[in-house]
Amino acid sequence: MGWEAVYLQQVINGLSLGAMYALLALGFTLVYGILELINFAHFNVFMISSFIGMMALELFGLSGQTHVLTGLPLAGVMIFAFIATMLGAGVIGVVIERFALRPLRGIPGTVGMITTIGVSYILFNIVLLTEGAGSFNFPNPMPRVSWPIGGATLELRELLIWGVALVLMVALHLFVNKTRLGKAMRATAQDSEAARMMGVDVDRVIVMAFFLGSALAGAAALIFGLYYNYTSFIIGYTAGLRAFTAAVLGGIGSVTGAMVGGIIIGLIEALGGQLIAVRWTDVIIFSILVLVLVFAPTGLMGRANPTKS
Amino acid sequence: MLSRRALIAQLPVVGLAGSYAIRAFAADKTVTIGINLPFTGADAHDAQLIKEGAMLAFDDANAKGGAGGYKINVMQLDDGTATAGQYDPAQAATNARKMVADDSVVAAIGPQMSGSGKAMAPILSQGNLATITPSSTNPDITDPKFASTYMPAGKAIYFRTVTTDAFQGPNMANYMADTLKIKSVYILDDSGAYGVGLANAYEAQAKKRGINVMGHDQLDPKEADYTTILTKIKSMNPDALYYGGVAQAGVKVVKQSYDIMPKMIRAGGDGVYGAEILKGGGFPAAEGLYATIAAPDLLANPDAESFIKAFAAKYGEQPENYSITAYDAALVIIDAIERIAKSGKPVDRNSMRDAIQDSHAKTLQGAVSFDKNGDITSRVVSVFQITHDPKFPDDDVLHQYKYIGVAPATA
Amino acid sequence: MIKRATATIRQGSIGGEAFGFLRRASPVQLIPLHLRPHVGTALAFAFALTFPLLIDRNDADIDSAANALAFASLALGLNIVVGFAGLLDLGYAAFFAIGAYTYGVLASAQLMPAWSGFWEPFQWLHLVARVHQDSGDLVHFTVSFWLMLPLSAAVAALFGILFGAPTLRLKGDYLAIVTLGFGEIVPIVVRNWPSVTNGAMGLNGVAAPQLFGYSFGVTAMPYYYVGVGMVALLIFTSTRLKFSRIGRAWMAIREDEIAAAAMGVDRVKFKLLAFAIGAAFAGATGTYFVAKLQTATPEMFMFPVSVMILVMIVFGGIGSVWGVVLGAIILQVLQSWFLEDLSQWLHALGRLIHVEWLQHVELASSIELIFGVILVFMMLYRRQGLIPATRRVQALSLSEQTAQVELAAAPPVKRLRVLGDATYRGPDPLLEIKDLTVRFGGLVALRSVGLTVPAHSVVAVIGPNGSGKSTLFNTVTGLVAADSGSVHFAGHPIRGLAPHVVLGRGMARTFQNIRLFPNLTVLENVMVGMHARLHTGPVGALLRLPGTRREEREAREHCLEILSLFGNRLIPRADHVVSSLSYANRRRVEIARALASNPKLLLLDEPTAGMNPAETLELAQQIKSLHEHGLAIVLIEHKLDVVVSLADNVVVLDHGEKIAEGTPDVVRRDEEVIRAYLGRSAAVA
Repeated sequence: MGWEAVYLQQVINGLSLGAMYALLALGFTLVYGILELINFAHFNVFMISSFIGMMALELFGLSGQTHVLTGLPLAGVMIFAFIATMLGAGVIGVVIERFALRPLRGIPGTVGMITTIGVSYILFNIVLLTEGAGSFNFPNPMPRVSWPIGGATLELRELLIWGVALVLMVALHLFVNKTRLGKAMRATAQDSEAARMMGVDVDRVIVMAFFLGSALAGAAALIFGLYYNYTSFIIGYTAGLRAFTAAVLGGIGSVTGAMVGGIIIGLIEALGGQLIAVRWTDVIIFSILVLVLVFAPTGLMGRANPTKS
Repeated sequence: MLSRRALIAQLPVVGLAGSYAIRAFAADKTVTIGINLPFTGADAHDAQLIKEGAMLAFDDANAKGGAGGYKINVMQLDDGTATAGQYDPAQAATNARKMVADDSVVAAIGPQMSGSGKAMAPILSQGNLATITPSSTNPDITDPKFASTYMPAGKAIYFRTVTTDAFQGPNMANYMADTLKIKSVYILDDSGAYGVGLANAYEAQAKKRGINVMGHDQLDPKEADYTTILTKIKSMNPDALYYGGVAQAGVKVVKQSYDIMPKMIRAGGDGVYGAEILKGGGFPAAEGLYATIAAPDLLANPDAESFIKAFAAKYGEQPENYSITAYDAALVIIDAIERIAKSGKPVDRNSMRDAIQDSHAKTLQGAVSFDKNGDITSRVVSVFQITHDPKFPDDDVLHQYKYIGVAPATA
Repeated sequence: MIKRATATIRQGSIGGEAFGFLRRASPVQLIPLHLRPHVGTALAFAFALTFPLLIDRNDADIDSAANALAFASLALGLNIVVGFAGLLDLGYAAFFAIGAYTYGVLASAQLMPAWSGFWEPFQWLHLVARVHQDSGDLVHFTVSFWLMLPLSAAVAALFGILFGAPTLRLKGDYLAIVTLGFGEIVPIVVRNWPSVTNGAMGLNGVAAPQLFGYSFGVTAMPYYYVGVGMVALLIFTSTRLKFSRIGRAWMAIREDEIAAAAMGVDRVKFKLLAFAIGAAFAGATGTYFVAKLQTATPEMFMFPVSVMILVMIVFGGIGSVWGVVLGAIILQVLQSWFLEDLSQWLHALGRLIHVEWLQHVELASSIELIFGVILVFMMLYRRQGLIPATRRVQALSLSEQTAQVELAAAPPVKRLRVLGDATYRGPDPLLEIKDLTVRFGGLVALRSVGLTVPAHSVVAVIGPNGSGKSTLFNTVTGLVAADSGSVHFAGHPIRGLAPHVVLGRGMARTFQNIRLFPNLTVLENVMVGMHARLHTGPVGALLRLPGTRREEREAREHCLEILSLFGNRLIPRADHVVSSLSYANRRRVEIARALASNPKLLLLDEPTAGMNPAETLELAQQIKSLHEHGLAIVLIEHKLDVVVSLADNVVVLDHGEKIAEGTPDVVRRDEEVIRAYLGRSAAVA
């Protein structure tokens, strides 16, 4: 491999990572935009969703990567798996909001965040106790197809990630900007009191934000599983923190920012690992987090200001 | 003065049925063996498999009327805590004290992790309580250089049924240089004490053998994506990839290295020998992976197959290699009790320590004996390669890992 | 009256919060009220000292207890940061690691540089030893544990400041994330720096402490007593700090950062102080912990440790000194002692009542689940924890409530003397604002506004909602940055100064939407107002020397006198938390708090809003008497009768511009004012 090909390959890797981080970051941003709450439970909603996705695929008798489908059966299985995972994840998000966070509505400070840490611990341990600490060979019925481009390799699974991420983000964008409920969400994010007075059902909007954010995490979890052919109870923490960093970098509260931030973090991770060493990846990413928060707290395109109180 | 236990015992109901009532075995001659493993946290499942390996031996012995007439009771201790989220050296130290404080405890099995071992060894040494670890391979604890730290009372008390990282890594480096004829290698480890120690020992010997070590990087075991580093390795085009670490990161290395460079020679230590790699890694990703164990080939011993069958029948899952070393550790202890009983001496800590020191117990890995530091004298490192045999389940360790031979020791 | 209130308040000094619940028990009532906290503390301490004997000197149990004490120390440290100052730190284990490795590296054979003359003085001080080797002599560090205990604390404190500094501007959740980042980075650096830390392999042979030539070795008992001493010292430190000027400043920041700054609290300084002291506790604990274990690995200091310490303080009671100690000890002991026993008992119970699943419950493996549940449960149902930090004071009795309101409309002149000489006598106007312009993005909030407040005058600022009145106050007091223009106070430029500096110059304010510190008592709120006038630092608060005691006593009495300016509206409620007060009383407390800073100029933002006519009249008269005493006052007010009765001069703002100025009578007749102000507000209504 020439060095151009290496960097091209790392960019492809970075974009795939970035697409996943972006989907996950949207969940942080949607909830933060409306509740000003950093939702730690999101980490493990992602993790638990990957198990939902795995079960959905196993319903079709799929296991490992040797069972390959093509054409309509593949499309059918995939569409079912995505719908099932996203619905399952969305419902978990709504349950968390309803039982752990709604009773705390309006209480200032970090009470909400501490609660979500507790919820995150609960989700994590439920999976640990029921599924065990091992790694799982995630079923993947996609054929292994790849195309060489400029010395690098582009694989079908990478196209799947980019495609799904793009479709979901465009759908979210349209939803937020074109539908009544989406506009109500934006209004609530701007000023929840004013929105309430204008007749917006704020509770419904908050439930919607949790549902959408969690469903996107569900989609991210499924493409995570299909990309790595792997899942485990530990996947939430690192991916969640990176995605959160992406949300902050893009500007927390901004949907476009989350997408851009995700891609940038993915690229930084891939190129940083190439240029420095992966043992320092976490240090690099956390340094970015701190630097952005300190010097450009609104991120690339955010409006919420983390220094305002 | 009331003891804490006595205080608890005054509570209604629970006191009567308290933990000691359960341990009050009917036989008049009993000994207690401590088992200290991290049953809480990230390594809980491995700990369970290790315990089950040992329990299989103890239950067998008890079923046959005990070892040399002694019924074996087990004091199970957990050195994992929620506070640490995994093994917790502070809790391990507490547990070591618990065992030392209880006179009925004559020997112990554990710990799983060297981090706990470092905290326990000084305390066990003061109490002259021998422990046999089935899995902790950090060489420091039995290194004479640190004798004043880890065996302040002077005698070895930290015995191992596995050899240390000081042999497994270097022998594999020899094997890769001599047999696989590799000229260059890239090394990865999983940031854990075991993985780093193994990878460092491998690296040192590889360099001595003239293998070009193109790089050595550390993976975050909780991270899912290793494509970055693997792409980097692909671009450097080494002959082989060596991984030092346990299955948690190992599964992902196996899968993703196959995706990115399917033809690369990949090798690892005993961390990639086990059902976890087969189950999590799957085929074809795991195909062709070299793994070593710090013991002779198990299939050479006909008892091994019956052990694995008995294990699977009793616990409903496949044993890991550390289940086997734990079983062996238990056999060493049973053998020691029998020899002491035969000689007519009382079975206590002193006699147990000395009997273990002089062990020639027959185990699944052959006759086990220890040097004066507590290390196993047999330093056979066996090499296996994963070769898919569709006749057997994918995660059947015995049939999916094919024995290749012994890795040559450093002359 | 004042004396009685002082007496009730004084009992709350040390440990009062912890043993409040004892008051209901009958035998306890035999003990005099003011002695009860001390009796409680003494009992706890006596129990701790005799504990090893009570459990028959079982080495393992003593060791568990010693570990629990280490976590109690950590919880006390985190409590300073999270509980007192309200800064959520999710990476607290980083400081624990720093302390542990500072001692661990310097007390093991990890670092052995070549010997040179440089080391000779250190050898003389017994800090290093010379090791003879064939290849050349090496340095062996032999720094004493006792010396390293404070030194590690200092090193950790330094890192506390280093990590705290970038986070100062961030609010709650973000601050938590940044601290989490530091919590991740520290173990990674430790792991990736093997030449100093031995990396992932961990330290070997860290020296045990020695006392008079006797090495502590591996027996748990001496460590236990060091732990008891450490926790006792940290409880003492926490309590002393909490009930001092420092603690009040922290809690003010926790309750309302903006109001704290406006009342003279230097946010930067006190946040860093909290970070530093919290980190110091962890640093010392790290040294203790690693000396006891004689080894350390990077994995001992990861995120779960930080979360567990947080669970401990949430469980015990955030901000409550005795609560967090209890929380830490209960949770730690639960893990190391009781869960296994408890599992066994459940199994036995299962056999007894023939319930199959009970016989297989393994509590140990589900403990993390249990802790997650504790966290959520406490947040939802008992946020104050086991031992709440705030004492509940019983509501006033009916007779006290209905007692004749002492007519306070015009406080006697002698009472006003408490305010000291508030009259400004300099040559320049007291406050002079010229061409002040403030923009928020595209919106111009103030456009070239000018305003002059002569000494000893009352100026009213009126205007419709959104006309820029509060922005004017915020800009003058330093909470909002101006884009151009000048502000002079007593002849000196003050534009751009931090809020706490502005207050120090003699300008105090109230807020339109009342920004009190809701979980502090009335008296504590007012005492925060005195913050800038007091001098007690952390050392003074700790030692509580006669000078500090005097300052504190005088401050307390001074504040009670200020409260008495409002008749008996506030005095009987002096030790009630302000969130329990009526709206009008909260307004009064806010004015009292501003007065406590001994201002020359008082900025009142709608002081009578929400008051009924009688209360409004009473307050107007009180404001008038303040003015007569010599204070200059700027008043934002909607009630025109109040404006007319008080103001010498009226300024009218509309859309950020000054549209009129003059005496109340002149302004009242101004056509533009009537149109802009009354016209629109009528339309809005």
